[in-house]
Amino acid sequence: MAIERLEQTKFRGVRDSARERALVLAAQGGDVGAFRQLYDAYRDRIYNLVLYSIGDPFNAQDVLQTVFLKVFRSLRSFRLQSSLSTWIYRIAHNECQDHHRRRTMAHMPLEAILGSSDEIDTKPRSDHQHARQERERIIQRAVMQLPFKMREVVVLKYVEGLSYDEMSRVLGCAPGTVASRLNRALVELEERLRPFRRLL
Amino acid sequence: MSWHFLLRRKFVPYLEGELQPREAKRVERHLLDCPWCRGVLVRLRAGHQMAQRLQAFDADEHPRPEFEAVITAVQPLSRTGRRAPLWEDWFDRLATPRAASALAALVLVQLALLVVSNRGVLFGKHSSVSLKAGALDLGDFRQLSIRELKSNTRPHVATEGYVYDVRTDPEEGTVAFKLAESADPSAPFVVCEIMSPIEMPAPQERSYVRVYGVARYDAQTDRKWYEVNPVLNIAVLKR
Repeated sequence: MAIERLEQTKFRGVRDSARERALVLAAQGGDVGAFRQLYDAYRDRIYNLVLYSIGDPFNAQDVLQTVFLKVFRSLRSFRLQSSLSTWIYRIAHNECQDHHRRRTMAHMPLEAILGSSDEIDTKPRSDHQHARQERERIIQRAVMQLPFKMREVVVLKYVEGLSYDEMSRVLGCAPGTVASRLNRALVELEERLRPFRRLL
Repeated sequence: MSWHFLLRRKFVPYLEGELQPREAKRVERHLLDCPWCRGVLVRLRAGHQMAQRLQAFDADEHPRPEFEAVITAVQPLSRTGRRAPLWEDWFDRLATPRAASALAALVLVQLALLVVSNRGVLFGKHSSVSLKAGALDLGDFRQLSIRELKSNTRPHVATEGYVYDVRTDPEEGTVAFKLAESADPSAPFVVCEIMSPIEMPAPQERSYVRVYGVARYDAQTDRKWYEVNPVLNIAVLKR
């Protein structure tokens, strides 16, 4: 049964990558619809990296659009020998880094992201649900307060599920550096969340 | 000491059960003899467990109008020389009610673009777009003086001033210029940037223009200035 599932996953992976390749070729050939499908496929994944890196949903949406404008502009030069996802993540990483360098962090409205869903969500929530959301927010806030490079590596690993090799290609450093950076990030995360340990 | 450091890089894969049995045994043997690394592993495990609970966010499903306008404005010729059949892809999206409103907005943008722009981009050349005012609702841009940009919190702004120091960077595909309140070099200014693939003519030096775009602040140590970047439209008020 497990082997069957693995085979199905493998097959889906092959099918997805063949489909993605076809979409890239079509987009390179001028098919805007194909580009829209690539945008739809990667939008949320890139948004997570950007949002956790920047902290503010409105600016994150802005940076997300800039990332895809750059993807759109450079797609013709993309060679299919490398992975599209790594290539797009790399553009997003550069854009976030650029944004991070240019912006002062002082006015980064962390509370905006933590407060926004409450303001919109008017449905009553159970205590259990509320407590779970609070716990998630505490962890999100702690991650967003990590230094930029640590934050990126945590998001790429735990939200996006990238391997060490993929992360090293996106971040432009050796897998060993990624591992060390991740270790430092997790130790720092533990330190920041230690006072909340009983709540979490 | 450096050996500990190298071994610790394997701690997260160890926690995830991704190490080969031989490597895992090596880590475990080391942990038995090294209380310091045991302490690190305990902290890493706690951080790892918390990080595993990180939630993913969803981006806004509908791209911003200016992004949509740029993407839909570019309809380069395909490899076979014919235009890509846009309707084929959008037909499926029409089937869902949620897509109807987005599609209506898109059609409006495209209609506006068809009226003001009827040129494509040849295959093989650098993709570029003429983004015209008709593709944007200029009423959405907050009108501010250059001085007022300091206290602005809105992303989309329109501001007026004299054009100076127009600089083109062909490699980056950008045109940057200073927009100043007056001819006095010490007057407040904002830096404006037209970025590829948005293509519009660079404004003339010393002309008086109104610039529409996204407000930003550049905090690099050698800069610290306000920007309109990217510029989405320029209206020439005085030549």
